Amino acid sequence: MLELLATVDSGGTSLAQALLQQVANGIAKGSVYALIAVGYTMVYGVLQLINFAHGEVYMLGAYFSYYPAKWMGYTTDPEDPSFVPAKVPLYVVGFLFVCSMACCALLGMLIERFAYRPLRNSSRLAALITAIGVSLLLQNGGIMLFKADPRGFPTLIEQSSVDLGLVALTNTKIIIVVVAAVMMAGLHLFVQKTRPGAAMRACSFDMRTARLMGVNVDGTIGLTFAIGSIMAAVAGVLVAMDQPTIDPLMGLMAGLKAFVAAVLGGIGSIPGAALGGLLLGVTESVVGTFSTTYAEAVAFVLLILVLLVKPSGLLGKSGREKV
Amino acid sequence: MRNALILAIATLALAFSGAGCKDKGNEAGGSGATEDSVKLGLFVSTTGEIATFGGDTKNGADLAVEEINKAGGIKGKLIDLRFYDTASKAEEAGNVATKLATQDKVLVAMGAVASGLSLAAAPVFEQNGVPMVSPSSTNPTVTQQGKNIFRICFLDDFQGGACAVFAYKELGKRKAAIIRNQDDAYSTGLADYFRLKFKALGGEVVADESYKKGTKEFASQITNVKAKEPDIIFLPCYYNDVALLSQQIRGQGIGDDVPMLGGDGWESANLIPNSKGALEGSYFGNHYSPEDPSEHVQAFVKGYKAKYNTAPSSLAALGYDVVYVVKKAIEDAGEFDRAKVRDALAALKDFKGVTGTFSIDENRDARKPISILKVQGDKFLPVKQIYPQDVK
Repeated sequence: MLELLATVDSGGTSLAQALLQQVANGIAKGSVYALIAVGYTMVYGVLQLINFAHGEVYMLGAYFSYYPAKWMGYTTDPEDPSFVPAKVPLYVVGFLFVCSMACCALLGMLIERFAYRPLRNSSRLAALITAIGVSLLLQNGGIMLFKADPRGFPTLIEQSSVDLGLVALTNTKIIIVVVAAVMMAGLHLFVQKTRPGAAMRACSFDMRTARLMGVNVDGTIGLTFAIGSIMAAVAGVLVAMDQPTIDPLMGLMAGLKAFVAAVLGGIGSIPGAALGGLLLGVTESVVGTFSTTYAEAVAFVLLILVLLVKPSGLLGKSGREKV
Repeated sequence: MRNALILAIATLALAFSGAGCKDKGNEAGGSGATEDSVKLGLFVSTTGEIATFGGDTKNGADLAVEEINKAGGIKGKLIDLRFYDTASKAEEAGNVATKLATQDKVLVAMGAVASGLSLAAAPVFEQNGVPMVSPSSTNPTVTQQGKNIFRICFLDDFQGGACAVFAYKELGKRKAAIIRNQDDAYSTGLADYFRLKFKALGGEVVADESYKKGTKEFASQITNVKAKEPDIIFLPCYYNDVALLSQQIRGQGIGDDVPMLGGDGWESANLIPNSKGALEGSYFGNHYSPEDPSEHVQAFVKGYKAKYNTAPSSLAALGYDVVYVVKKAIEDAGEFDRAKVRDALAALKDFKGVTGTFSIDENRDARKPISILKVQGDKFLPVKQIYPQDVK
């Protein structure tokens, strides 16, 4: 504790700057939470289901770009004798993103089709337990297929520090923030301005009536899973680019944090997921200025306080519960 | 189920067949030895989460046994190595220890790698009066289990202190930052001992940051470290974390003039490829270096490469040394008797192993130097040996 105070004292004039830097770190961290949180929130909005397998989709997003990269010869695997850390050209980076997005979209739809759709009319608890089952299946399947050892991810973009005036961030973190912002804005427009987006909102509002109005409910739910999974895939590749080792259990903590972010922002609300993610990331980082040991604990206390005051989350709709 | 049955029958059969010879050994006045062979036990985990550590240890031990038997054995008796896999589980280590002590009746038991497993096995050997020598359990409490329990590796307190001495005296560093894994006893132990020693020497620990197990993004910690402008960063973590930490430390603009430093947890074939050059010019303490030019080490490296087609890790080197330590102790004891071998182990002086020259001290721990290695290109080069008397 004494040490903690000393840290603050010696900061003096630079404390403000340190805090500002931590806010910037937190925004980068929070952008990733937000990208994953969107998947939780969209599925919950439509099905009132917490898709616990979503963190694993994020993990697989990283692997779905790791293997194509490896097959094209971009690898850091030491077992490979012809190991040359080649520079990955930009069009390959683009291809890896697209590849991972496509595979995850397909995976998300498959999970929905085979694990959740048969249970759509059974109790919510059954679906929730199934979600946990799918999550465990993907984790342990990942350990079996990919081995538990973390793997080095190829350098997609050479990391360097970029001075932004008051704060400095690595170029990969800036890319994370920009890509996340663009994707979230695009998603918001999609949901608000397009016909499939309107169908999604209709299903979320009242699935039975939507079906009576001629909305393809199964297709819309499939699309919801696909879009959520695409966001998670992008998050997976972005994180692997910034923190280049991946392992089959990387989705566990990330998924949990994103879920918390979704609840904090108000589960079911897409802007809420963005806000919740950023808030969680920034809180963790700012608390980290004083004590990295307690950063997560304080962030979770914040969650509890918010939920005590506003049980439906920051931007959540409080209203009647559909049963 | 069927396999289990067959295994049970086989075990029974073995126990009975073993009973025949062992009686002779016992009557001859010593356990574990028959007319032409001496039974030694080896227990490490070759399956489970720390399987690579145990596998390397077993490879090193197998190589030593092969060499000794080819040269005529120990005092004319060939080594009959009884190996059991402890599957990375403490309860399995206890079972295996009972089996080695009471069924196989080995003269000396060697193992385990993980301190938790050694701690589970030690009381069994202590009770049965079987000397146990751990090749690589670094936790201080392991050898406190009884007078029959030994180890041939250095301890975490010495390792942390030696890193501090190296940073302060050899590199001339005065402002250290620490980033530790708060969920891991190994990491916090090293960090605490480093901190203590570095301050005692007159240095300043300007930042001491923690992270939780499984963290991959260290921006907050590194921001705090960078603000304090340290001249060295101590990372008492395992290689996977070090690979990520080092890249992010350099990525956030802390330059090459601030080297990183760590302990034996860094050693891995994955460290250099996964850190992508960020560790160039950094240092870590280890049990030995395969680049050590001494004849003894090079002969071992060559033999190991010929047998397994890969360079030996520290654990392989310790597995190799532990067999030779036991051989030396039996020769010193003069006869195949557990109590006499125990006394010989306790009195072991200046044993020349591939992991350095060492003696067993009054706590039954090895007093041996730590090799500080420098990361250069794709090699770990030995730069300095720190002896226990340097850290005192």
